[in-house]
Amino acid sequence: MAMAAAARRALLNHLRVPVARPAVAAASVPVARLLSSTTEAEKGSFLDKAEVADRVVSVIKNFQKIEPSKVTPNAHFQKDLGLDSLDTVEIVMAFEEEFSFEIPDTEAEKIDSIKSAVDFIASHPKAK
Amino acid sequence: MAAAGPAKTEVLSLFRAFLRTARQFSDYNIREYTRRRAADAFRENRALADAPAAAAAFADGKQQLEVAKRQVLVYSLYAPKAKSVVEMKIQ
Repeated sequence: MAMAAAARRALLNHLRVPVARPAVAAASVPVARLLSSTTEAEKGSFLDKAEVADRVVSVIKNFQKIEPSKVTPNAHFQKDLGLDSLDTVEIVMAFEEEFSFEIPDTEAEKIDSIKSAVDFIASHPKAK
Repeated sequence: MAAAGPAKTEVLSLFRAFLRTARQFSDYNIREYTRRRAADAFRENRALADAPAAAAAFADGKQQLEVAKRQVLVYSLYAPKAKSVVEMKIQ
């Protein structure tokens, strides 16, 4: 028993790796913030649905051919807003720019209303 | 080849490729021109009824896309040092 513990301690001492501190970063930024920022960047974080909806609506209101008064959270691009398929492509590209991530073609084809856009963007980890 | 026109999804994905390429231009004027020119051309040709004409327009579009991709590279070598005043956000 005692021998096992001693062996374990010896092994752990052997395995211990000295941690080099990132001198520059540690000096100015608190460790907690450093940690959280790296994990967020790696995993990505999901955006709040209400915030996504607001930003989606404002992107759409800025689109030239749309009357801002017609835009409602449930509007369908082609049925309610009078857009064609080319406009839809342009709008999806505008979403990509607003949320700085890439929407693959197969997903872009499925986005045809404000609701589907909000759902997709809110469920995408890379949307910012 | 000449008989069948391009499918709707093919045309839309070509348009998307144009917009993606246009975005990469560093110069505001060229970026906006390419985007506008692509949108106008696709609208102009949307009503092409017969398949050969649509196929020809599609082939031409693919060629123009290659031109645009080359030009992105060329223009990136001569990128403007300052942003256009139009792009600047109002402080």
